[in-house]
Amino acid sequence: MSHTLKPPKRKSSAKGIGAIDIDDDEGHDLMGASGQGYSWEEEYKRSWDILQEDEQGSLQGVVASIQQQLKRRRLHRDTATVQRGIIRHLYLVIDLSRAMAELDLKPSRIECTMRLAEEFIGEYFDQNPLSQLGIIITRDGLAEQLTELTGNPTDHTSALQKRSNREPKGEPSLQNALELARTSLAHVPSHGSREILVLYASLTTCDPDNILDTLESLKRECIRVSMVGLSAEVQVCRTICRETKGTYNVVLNEMHYKDILFENIPPPVATAQRTASLIQMGFPTTRTYEEPTLCACHHKLIRKGYVCPRCSSTVCEIPTDCPVCSLTLVSSPLLARSYHHLFPVENYKEIGWAGVLSTMPKHCFSCLVPFHGPPQSMSHRRLSTAGNTGGGTAIGIGSGRFECPKCKEQFCLECDAYVHDVLHNCPGCVNR
Amino acid sequence: MTSEESINLLAVVIDTNPIAWATAAQDSRCPLDFGRVLEQLLIFINAHLALRFDNELVVIASHTNQSLFLYPPQLSDTDQPPDASSKPANTYKQFFDVNQAVIKTLKDLITESKSPEDVDDKSMLAGSLSLAQTYINRIRRANDPTPLQSRILILSVSPDLPSQYVATMNCIFAAQRVGTRIDVCRFRGKHYGEESVFLPQACHLTGGLYMEIPEAENLLQYLLYAFLPDPYMRSVLCLPEKDQVDFRAACFCHKTVVDVGYVCSVCLSIFCSVSKQCPTCQTQFGGQ
Repeated sequence: MSHTLKPPKRKSSAKGIGAIDIDDDEGHDLMGASGQGYSWEEEYKRSWDILQEDEQGSLQGVVASIQQQLKRRRLHRDTATVQRGIIRHLYLVIDLSRAMAELDLKPSRIECTMRLAEEFIGEYFDQNPLSQLGIIITRDGLAEQLTELTGNPTDHTSALQKRSNREPKGEPSLQNALELARTSLAHVPSHGSREILVLYASLTTCDPDNILDTLESLKRECIRVSMVGLSAEVQVCRTICRETKGTYNVVLNEMHYKDILFENIPPPVATAQRTASLIQMGFPTTRTYEEPTLCACHHKLIRKGYVCPRCSSTVCEIPTDCPVCSLTLVSSPLLARSYHHLFPVENYKEIGWAGVLSTMPKHCFSCLVPFHGPPQSMSHRRLSTAGNTGGGTAIGIGSGRFECPKCKEQFCLECDAYVHDVLHNCPGCVNR
Repeated sequence: MTSEESINLLAVVIDTNPIAWATAAQDSRCPLDFGRVLEQLLIFINAHLALRFDNELVVIASHTNQSLFLYPPQLSDTDQPPDASSKPANTYKQFFDVNQAVIKTLKDLITESKSPEDVDDKSMLAGSLSLAQTYINRIRRANDPTPLQSRILILSVSPDLPSQYVATMNCIFAAQRVGTRIDVCRFRGKHYGEESVFLPQACHLTGGLYMEIPEAENLLQYLLYAFLPDPYMRSVLCLPEKDQVDFRAACFCHKTVVDVGYVCSVCLSIFCSVSKQCPTCQTQFGGQ
C-alpha cells in the first residue's frame, strides 16, 4: 500500500509551493537577498542589497560586521557537564528519490548532500573515535544498506563516491529505511547509543505498511531518530523525531544545511534508560615485521601492525574489533580524544564597548593579535550586543574581546572559535 | 603543493623550569648549561630565518606558573625600541631583533620569578602548546589562501605532569588536525630528565621527530641536521626514529599498565578488573 503524507506545512512565505515556477519569470518580488529565506522560495540573489555605506561612505565596517556575524553564529554551545553517550551507533539514511535531483540547493540537492555527508562522516569519526556508523539509501520504494556499522571512515566515503550510489530515482520509502536501520541496530550492545539520522528530500513516502507501527517499535528499542528535511516540514517526520526524542530541522540554504547536519556530530546527552556497563577493551602494541605479513582484517601485506593482546592476531589499524576474537581494540589516545566531550571549555563572554577599560590588555591573550580601538564616533554605530541580528542593515562591530569566565583572560573572535571548535583547551586556564 | 609555495612557521617552546635546569646543571658527567643551550638555540633560530625571507617564527617560554611569548615581543611593552645606532652594523636586522627580544624577555622572566621556595617543579607545557596552536592558527588565517607549513619544536627537560594529560592530548589532536608537526628535543642524562610518556606520543601522532640529546654540547648539530629541514626534506633524510611508542593505558585503580582493560562506557575510565560501580563517576553498571 502506498500512502501520501499530509501536505507540508507552509512556512511564513508569501507564496505557495506551486507558484514558484510561474513566478520565476516575473521577478518583481525580490527577496531573500540575505540568503536567510528558504532556498526554494528564492528567485534572485541580490547580495549587493545588504551592503550599505556608512556615513563616511565606506564599506569596510559593513563587510567586517558581516564576517563577524557569520563567525559568531556557531559560537554558543552547550557547556554543561552532562552525561553523554560517547559510544554511538548511528545509521545515516540518505533519501535518493527523484526529489533529490531538484536544483534548489547549489549545485543540486544530491551533490550538496553527498558533499556534506562526506564531510559529516570525517568529522563524526574525528569527534567520536569510539563510535560506529553505517549508511542506508532509499530509492524506488526500497531501502538498501550501503555499508555495515563500522568504525572506518574510508569505507563509508568510498561507498558514497560510487557513481551508482549517487543516482536519484523513484520514490523513497521512509518506513523501509527505518526498519532496515532498526533491525541492524538491534544487536548493538546496550551501553552504546542507537541513532538514526535521516536526510530526507521528498515530501512523500511509499511504504508497505503503517509507519506508526514502526515508530512504536523504534520507541520501544530506544532508537533516537533525527531528521534533516530538504524541502518543507512534513508532519510524519516531525512526529517520529518528537516521539523518539530526536531533532527535526528543515534546511534554509546550503550553509544552514551544513549547520544543522553538523549539530548531530557532538554526542547526544545520554538518556536515562541506557544501561552503563564496563566494556572489555584491548590495548594492542605496535609491532614492526622484518618480512611483510598478512593482516587479519583486510588480508593485505603490512610491515607495521597492531597485535591483539588476547589472540595475537595482527590488524592493520585501530580502532576496530579484532576479527578473530572480536575484542574491541583501541589505544589510549583514542580514549583521550573523547575526553573533551566530558570536560568542555566554557563559553567566552563578549565584552561590549561599554565594558572596555583602558587598563585592559591591548592584544589577544593567546595569539597576540591587537584588539582594535573603540570607533571614533559611537553614535552612528549601534553598540554590539549578543542578540543583535543585523537583518541586512549595517550594524556596529563589537569590541572583538571575549573573556573566559574562569581565568578572565581576553581572546579575539578567531581564538574563541578555534579554542572551542578545535583545541578544546582554554589557553588561559591551562596556564595556571 | 610543493614546499616552495608555502610559508614556513616554526614555533619553539623552551622549557624554562628553573628547578629542572638546576638539577641538570649539577649532573656530574656532562652538566647541562642553560646559557650554552640558549646560544645554540639562537643560532638555530637564525638559521631558520635565514633559509627564506618569509619564514615565520614564534618563541614561547614554558615557565613554572605561566607561559610567555618571547618572540614576537608583546605589544604591552611600553619601553622604546632600541634606536638604530645601537644596532651593530654587521648584523642582519632580523637576527638582531629576535636575539634581543628572546634574551631580554627571558631575563625579565627570570628576574621576576619568585624565590626558590615558592617555585613548584612543573612546567606549563600544555599551556605553551595551546598558545603556540592559537598563534599558528592566526598566522594560517592571515596568510590564507597561501598554505602554511607549521611545526612546533619543544626543548624539554622537566618531567611530565599527569594533571596536564588531557590538555596536552587536546593540543596534540588539534595539531594533528591541521597538520602541524610536533618535534621534541629532550635533554636526558643519567641523573636528570625522566623518560617522558606524553612527548613521544605527541611526535608519533603528528609525524614529528623525537630525539633525546645525551650531550648538550653537541646540541647545535642535532638542531641543524635533524630539526631544521622542512617536512619535505625530511622524507629524503635518514633520521633516527623512536622505534616503539607505547600506547597502552594505565588503569585508574592501581596505575598498572594493562593489555586488556575494562572501560566505563560513561566516563571512559580504565580499570583492570570488573566492579559493580564505577569509582570515577559512581555509575551503577547494569547487566553484562
